[in-house]
Amino acid sequence: MQCKNLAVAVKLWALLCAIIGISLTSDTVLTCVLSVLGFAYLATQKNRRLLCSFGIFYIFLAALLYLIRFHNLHMVIFSEFYVLMFWNLSPVFIVAWDLITTPPGELSAFLSRIHMPTPIILGLLVMFRFFPTMKAELKSVVRSMRNRRLTALGQVLCHPAASCEYVIVPLLLRCLQIADQLSVSALARGADYPGVRGSYYGKALDWRDGLWFTLWTVGTAAFLLVGGVRL
Amino acid sequence: MIEIKNLCFTYSDCKKGVQSIDLTISDGECVVLTGPSGGGKTTLTRLINGLAPNLYPGSLAGSILIDGQPLWELPGWAIGRQIGSVFQDPKSQFFSSELRGEVAFACENYGLSKSEIRIRTDGAISAFSLNRLQDQSLDVLSSGEKQRVAIASVYALSPTIYVCDEPASNLDDEGAERLAAALRKLKADGCTLIIAEHRLSWLSGIADRFIYINHGSIRWERTAAQMNRISSEQRRADGLRELIKAEINKLSAPGGNTAALCTKNLCCRRKRTEIFVDFNFSLYPGQITALTGHNGAGKTSLALTLAGLWRESGGIVEIDGARHSAKQRRRRIWYSSNDTGTQFFTNSVTEELLLNADRSPERIDRARQLLKQLGLYEYKDVHPASLSGGQKQRLSIACGILSDRSILIFDEPTSGLDGGNMEIIADVLQSEAKQKRTILIITHDMELMRRCCDCAINMDADRKYQGPV
Repeated sequence: MQCKNLAVAVKLWALLCAIIGISLTSDTVLTCVLSVLGFAYLATQKNRRLLCSFGIFYIFLAALLYLIRFHNLHMVIFSEFYVLMFWNLSPVFIVAWDLITTPPGELSAFLSRIHMPTPIILGLLVMFRFFPTMKAELKSVVRSMRNRRLTALGQVLCHPAASCEYVIVPLLLRCLQIADQLSVSALARGADYPGVRGSYYGKALDWRDGLWFTLWTVGTAAFLLVGGVRL
Repeated sequence: MIEIKNLCFTYSDCKKGVQSIDLTISDGECVVLTGPSGGGKTTLTRLINGLAPNLYPGSLAGSILIDGQPLWELPGWAIGRQIGSVFQDPKSQFFSSELRGEVAFACENYGLSKSEIRIRTDGAISAFSLNRLQDQSLDVLSSGEKQRVAIASVYALSPTIYVCDEPASNLDDEGAERLAAALRKLKADGCTLIIAEHRLSWLSGIADRFIYINHGSIRWERTAAQMNRISSEQRRADGLRELIKAEINKLSAPGGNTAALCTKNLCCRRKRTEIFVDFNFSLYPGQITALTGHNGAGKTSLALTLAGLWRESGGIVEIDGARHSAKQRRRRIWYSSNDTGTQFFTNSVTEELLLNADRSPERIDRARQLLKQLGLYEYKDVHPASLSGGQKQRLSIACGILSDRSILIFDEPTSGLDGGNMEIIADVLQSEAKQKRTILIITHDMELMRRCCDCAINMDADRKYQGPV
């Protein structure tokens, strides 16, 4: 299903509200109110994938909290501290993840509109491309290593330093090559043009954006009023 | 009009470059730069589109005039507006992970209005028949599809001059024909086309003039009519590919007495997508089999599955009559990827050949012979990363041959190679087949197929085996 993204400005505002709410609240457990608001926010954008993954994780955290509170559950690795920390920070994770998975074109359109310098916009676009590209390259390196029989357990255990080198050196060389090719590609397509950058997307604010701007503002204010502010 | 006068350029980090280039290209003309790999074609394209010496530093003499104006006096962005550049490897040049963002990239950089960007972007997407890819990530497209996206992103800006560096090297015949149609349209619109290319047959009817570049200088120029009269001997002596697409004799399906490899109802599914289903075929020792099909048909997926680098989602693979798991197959089957960027792990070509193998005098001698045969002996001590694309492809083939595996799979081993190197690879593969090794080549290269393949398997669009080509 195609996501119906809200405007980037609203997403940034939602993130700011979530951070303020989480930072100032004195009732940690009540942050579930902001999380529910976050889930509704994802549902409105039809971001089903994020909704499902965060939803399952949140239900898991809720179950752990219940067991910790009422059945004295103690875990060695994922202790109570971490459970509460993730529970508390969930609204920020939800909103932040939604923001960073916004199509890069929409982000660059927003940055162009606020007259952000082109080198910063291009830097952001490169950053968004870098991680998936390096992930694909890493997969390719590991596949080649398997083809050359360099991933056998005996090989890795007997020559750990060499095994690391086999991964890191081709990856670094590829990284340099990609950086070089990206520079060439950018300059050949006018990246050094001195004027203001245009945008294919440039979404105008609509009633949904206005609604969610209001909901996050009112929701966070109400949350802080009811839950109390930590001073 | 482009006027190049006594142009000399030498890269600052090596001795390569071009010397004494004098060339005039009229508006609306299509000029093909051809010649052996490493001859200077790419350097000349980089000089014309201003990337050298701006991004590729070096010493420069002579001049390039665009409509009477010296190229070096123009800022880089002004050159980019007039001269669109299409590169050989599109995948690492994308700035966006989605189609519209990538095609719109240049228009966005030049600050065009939103409506103008949309019209141009959507027009370019339609012109290159990319509409069906709108909702897919660019990372999952086939190499041919990626190349069409790269060309569309230049087309959207409507430059008057197009400089293309081997744009068809990864395209299948249909893709090359589609590209040829697009270039024909550009030419009809009055655009000037400068194309560095080894594959020449797809340019038939588009190219007005062929410039042969070797050792950094222009050796000869011929019109399209003169090129059509060139003899096969002359063409081979110059290391050129075929000029006219010759029909290949129908290759039969693989056949023989005892199959070296046999698949039964082989299926591959990745992320809920059926790549191929119920694939049945056999490969026989001593035969070179071509695996053909459109870009995106699943050829590479099949090769990865056969080689045990991907796990099959159904069916079985038998080697010498016995079922083999993915792990077992990795010991018996070699796979050379089309992308050679991440295939090498050591500090020298020689070390690469002997990686993970015994260093017996016989093997060292065999490695030496192979390097000589593949024209890599003079590079035996250099780092594999410093080799050219074609040299890396040959090194990858050499590694496969020196492995002790009886079944060898090569993915597009001749893409972007000149005629001379294609002949060398064909000879080496034939000599390995004579040693009763089983060879499967994924290829779109009809010339290679005619030169060395004994039989063929075709994967059609619905990812099922279709029998002989």
